[in-house]
Amino acid sequence: MPLEAILDTLRNSEGYYLCNNERDVSQSDFKNRLMPMTTVRVAPYREKASFFSIEVSGGASIHVDLLRKQVNPFERLRIVSRAMPQTLLQTVCRGANLFGYRHYPENVIRFTVREFCRYVDVWRVYDFLNHVPNMIPVFEEVQKAGRILMPSICFSTGKEHTDSYYVGKVAEILEVTGPEVIISIKNHSGLGTPRRISQLVEAIKNSFPETILHYHGCNTDGNDIGRMTAAVLAGVKICDVADHGYGSVYGQAPALTLIQTLEDYGKKVEAMDLEALVKCSDILRQERKIYEPFESQFRGHDPTVARYKLTGGAAGSTFEQADKGGFLQRMPEILEEMARVLVELGNWWSVTPGSQILWTTAVNNVLYGRYQRPSLDLKNLILGRYGPFPFYEPHDWICEKVLEYQRPDGKKWHEIMATEGGMVPPAEPDLEGERTKLQRELKRPVSDEDLVLYLQYPFDALSFLRFEERCGKTWLLPPEVWFRRGGFKAGERIKFADEWGKPHYIEVISTRREGANVLTSLLVDHVFHTISVKVEGADSHSAPQ
Amino acid sequence: MFEKILIANRGEIALRIIRSAQELDIKAVAIYEETDKDAFHIMRADEAICIGPGPRKDYLDIDKIIEAAKKTGAEAIHPGYGFLAENPEFPEACIEAGLVFIGPPHEVIRSLGSKVIARDIARNSDIPVIPATETLSAGEAANEEALAFAAEYGFPIMIKAVSGGGGRGIRQVDDERSLLAGLKQSRSEALMAFGNDDIYLEKCLSRPQHIEVQILADSFGNVVHLGTRNCSIQRRHQKLIEIAPAGLPKELTAEICDAAVRVAKASNYQSAGTVEFLVEPDGRFYFLEVNTRIQVEHTVTEMVTGIDIVREQLLIAMGEPISFSQKAVVERGYAIELRINAEDPKNEFLATPGVVQVYQSSAGHGVRLDGAIYQGYEIPPFYDSMMVKLTVYGFTWQEAVDRLSRALSGFIIIGVKTTIPFFQQIVNEPDFIQMKFDTSYLDTHPQLLDYEEKEREVDKIARLIAEINAYGYNPYAQ
Repeated sequence: MPLEAILDTLRNSEGYYLCNNERDVSQSDFKNRLMPMTTVRVAPYREKASFFSIEVSGGASIHVDLLRKQVNPFERLRIVSRAMPQTLLQTVCRGANLFGYRHYPENVIRFTVREFCRYVDVWRVYDFLNHVPNMIPVFEEVQKAGRILMPSICFSTGKEHTDSYYVGKVAEILEVTGPEVIISIKNHSGLGTPRRISQLVEAIKNSFPETILHYHGCNTDGNDIGRMTAAVLAGVKICDVADHGYGSVYGQAPALTLIQTLEDYGKKVEAMDLEALVKCSDILRQERKIYEPFESQFRGHDPTVARYKLTGGAAGSTFEQADKGGFLQRMPEILEEMARVLVELGNWWSVTPGSQILWTTAVNNVLYGRYQRPSLDLKNLILGRYGPFPFYEPHDWICEKVLEYQRPDGKKWHEIMATEGGMVPPAEPDLEGERTKLQRELKRPVSDEDLVLYLQYPFDALSFLRFEERCGKTWLLPPEVWFRRGGFKAGERIKFADEWGKPHYIEVISTRREGANVLTSLLVDHVFHTISVKVEGADSHSAPQ
Repeated sequence: MFEKILIANRGEIALRIIRSAQELDIKAVAIYEETDKDAFHIMRADEAICIGPGPRKDYLDIDKIIEAAKKTGAEAIHPGYGFLAENPEFPEACIEAGLVFIGPPHEVIRSLGSKVIARDIARNSDIPVIPATETLSAGEAANEEALAFAAEYGFPIMIKAVSGGGGRGIRQVDDERSLLAGLKQSRSEALMAFGNDDIYLEKCLSRPQHIEVQILADSFGNVVHLGTRNCSIQRRHQKLIEIAPAGLPKELTAEICDAAVRVAKASNYQSAGTVEFLVEPDGRFYFLEVNTRIQVEHTVTEMVTGIDIVREQLLIAMGEPISFSQKAVVERGYAIELRINAEDPKNEFLATPGVVQVYQSSAGHGVRLDGAIYQGYEIPPFYDSMMVKLTVYGFTWQEAVDRLSRALSGFIIIGVKTTIPFFQQIVNEPDFIQMKFDTSYLDTHPQLLDYEEKEREVDKIARLIAEINAYGYNPYAQ
């Protein structure tokens, strides 16, 4: 369906639509580990359920694809697109930070967006400082590609976060994009009451009655059903939801609960097959146990999020870091410090990369003393490298501590600010030169997709591309095999199909050890192999002696 | 009828001969060197006898082989190809020992083994020969003779060993300097390889096709030809791919086959043999040489004619006449044969001996395999690197090419590098597909070596399974 027709349908509908935000649920509640085969298993039912879109890309998922799942993020999009040809694919993009944690050069941004636009239908775009110029190159490329642009205003609470501020931001965005977009309200931590959200939606609708609105929130405090209900009743046309069998705490609230609630208010969900929706969760409940090791160290809703405002997408990973760092028990203290730091630094929006800056600062403040060990990212924030502070600037004493920290030339903070402050656009690399560099590393021709991944994460993309050459498309394996602990038993048969459905069998015949090598004998599609693996630090392996 | 024969060879040709012998209810005795004790031909023979520690020297030891034949009660010896197959002393020794040599008489091998005598026989039979010198004189005089030949016919010129064969002892030179240097080198190589340093010069033809005719001759004076083969695709004068029929125009084919029969008759030939020619693009053809043995590529002729050449060899050696007439020889379709060797084409076709960890062969309609390996076999470094000879048949050329492509991809060989990926390049190359090739084919298609060895995707995934198993967790998911 053409873009205009989709937007007209949304604009003219009496009811509302749902976006299944699998990506955010995976990131918020399962540390981004959801494997493509789980998505494929549930795909026919999600397709039948008729979501407006499914968010399967963006945020931290692309980096984790390369780092922990060894799947090409482009290939993942192709897989889901094949499995759900009728459903729009959605991504979330951090403006000039794309899918990473720093500002990318403009030619890299445009090249990356163009490549992803081949598969992604809906682009949810935001900036953690709500600085619209940071998003313009992405806006332009998405619109050039004829895809659905969903510029976001990041929402938070506090005295600065007034309706007029957000209405002003919507105006600023629409001036750049024109009216044929969907404006998204990004409520990253599930902040505000239903009443607050209702007010905000009404304020925007009053100023821009023709604008289509989307609501994205997290269910950290357990009340996102309330907020979404209020949002839809006030005029929002699309809400981000989860499957009830898979959604948990920090991601989105369950679709079916929202549907049942809104029905009582006389609002109907458009085109949704409820039986199929229930079936999705029946399947995902079975899959969920595979991902249990990746669930958050802290489970259960937390209404105190209204104070520390930790974004849902960062919850699982921050708790994990605290656990690994041995300071999990100090989390209440750290979260309290986060709330203080956020106010001290300008009360902007705790979303990537700002959420990482807040988290690191709060942890360092608790562990080493307040602002005693500022990170480089915090320094860049105070220098205004990410963009201007939206409401107020941090106190002078903070600027002093941060900017003068480990400063070898002894310069004072206001001098530093005067000479080094402000946004500095990163130098644009020669893309063909980068391609040549990658070709040299891989000793093979490099596709545009390979190059995009390399430009985003040079080291991790290279490791992934080498892995893929050596081990192939391992995303075809069942997730329970990918995450296997304890090796395989003799006689165990691993069944999987290739991407076109052709079945394959790998049967483990025996395992034996020869010195530092573990020899696994396998029948691979009925062909006998013995594969020797040298195990560094022999303690970890499970093979019999 | 023989009751038992000994096969003085190894590898696929030994197996090939064993099969025909067993079909005639003749017991087959294999010989082997200690260094070849795991060879496949030993397992398929009715009896086997070790003739020495090896490597290679015992397969060339006439006395030991005769002794083995006597010890096992064999009545005849089939030499196969290579080793002693074209050494006239071997049939002579067989006769002295009261054994039948399954091949031409020693006088025939001796005369046709000399390139110079063979050319005389051809010339006397009104068959054009490539302009060439006599055997060059010894010492400095050879330089003058060579320069005079170059002045008359120009470059390029081939320097050939009088006793050469199988592509060895041949060198192309393109100017006077390389000619004079090449004479010395060729002499020394010929002496090392054939025990005879006689050499001669031959005019080098421009982009000819290498065509050969399979002949059979019996002791009753009957000579038949089994049509042509095209062996133009060569690497350093060694055949890589052979095709039957050669694909020449009908009249030219008839002329060449007739010439081959005339050479065989003029040389009093007996048994199976091959008369080789070079054919220029305008259809002019020249006699090249006669191979007085069964050849590797005989299978393509068998596929298109249906005639078992080795069976005929055995029958002829037993004093029988050829079992069919020339009229009965009909060629249908096309056959292509190639050698799947344990070699690395990308590394100058260097042999890659080692353990064949996995061997699954191709199969299906029109696919013939003459193999010499099995799963678990360790290819010894001492012998030639052929693992299996693949011959395919197709009712049309296109069908044969398609089948070859399919058959090549049906092999799973793990443990050693093979020539399969290189051949896969050739079967997908447009000139080959259109049957457009001559002896310069590999030189004019250097891109054929530019390939990537493809691993089955499932094998790559199996590698990860082995890693997860070894570590007890997936190191790439942490």
